Amino acid sequence: MALTAQAMARYTSAGYNSLVSLSSQTARIKVLFFGRLKEIVGHAEDSVEVPDGAPIEALFSHYGSSHPELALFRASLVASRNQEFAAWSTPLHSGDEVAFLPPVSGG
Amino acid sequence: MANLLQPDLLALVRDPIDQAALIQHVRAAEDGAVVTFDGTVRNHSHGRRTLYLDYEAYESMALGKIREIAAQIHEKFPIHLVAIAHRLGRLEIGETSVFIAVSSAHRPAAFDACRFAIDTLKGTVPIWKKEYFEDGAVWADGEMPPAPVETRAAKPASQ
Repeated sequence: MALTAQAMARYTSAGYNSLVSLSSQTARIKVLFFGRLKEIVGHAEDSVEVPDGAPIEALFSHYGSSHPELALFRASLVASRNQEFAAWSTPLHSGDEVAFLPPVSGG
Repeated sequence: MANLLQPDLLALVRDPIDQAALIQHVRAAEDGAVVTFDGTVRNHSHGRRTLYLDYEAYESMALGKIREIAAQIHEKFPIHLVAIAHRLGRLEIGETSVFIAVSSAHRPAAFDACRFAIDTLKGTVPIWKKEYFEDGAVWADGEMPPAPVETRAAKPASQ
């Protein structure tokens, strides 16, 4: 268990839950917020740099740490990358557009 | 298959939806049926009186998902054409928020395709409505779109 925790800590410090770039390559990502998420974050659009290949989950954690209320909605959100629903583990690359989408209620 | 000379009409609009134009767009001499769905703004929600609704969308993705729905119903059902328009912005009670028209040679395909289109739209197209009441406003309960399978266990956001 201790090993796992240590490994997790290393993993975290290596960038999983942090956007502090330790790799030489960074990727600029356009981030969009909709519905209640836009109200929580306070704006509809952002542009951030992440380590190239960082997963969408890490990008969300970045916003969740500065907006704790946002993190509460994690289980009821879907993410998208370049206008397609995407798994949280999807790696990000420069020019990607990511959106965090609350449950949809059109119609 | 969609007629390439007169393709499906798929749109997000801010002005009132012109239902007659959508119906006209899909109907043709070879069709025996046009089935429509008119989604309207209800005056109550969860026992409270609704004043009006405000719709917003991730527009580029929403249009992409509506196009996917059109492609899916052409694949699944022997229909002729489909028109789908969803309105955005503030809508008053009784106004049309979404309108779907499907034409086909025989009615079963148009009924089935129209039902499939609205059900899929409500579950997959990134559009959200905020409900305004006398004492406040809430984002409507929505449906979780089907999430892609994770390639490794995803962790919840750390607190």
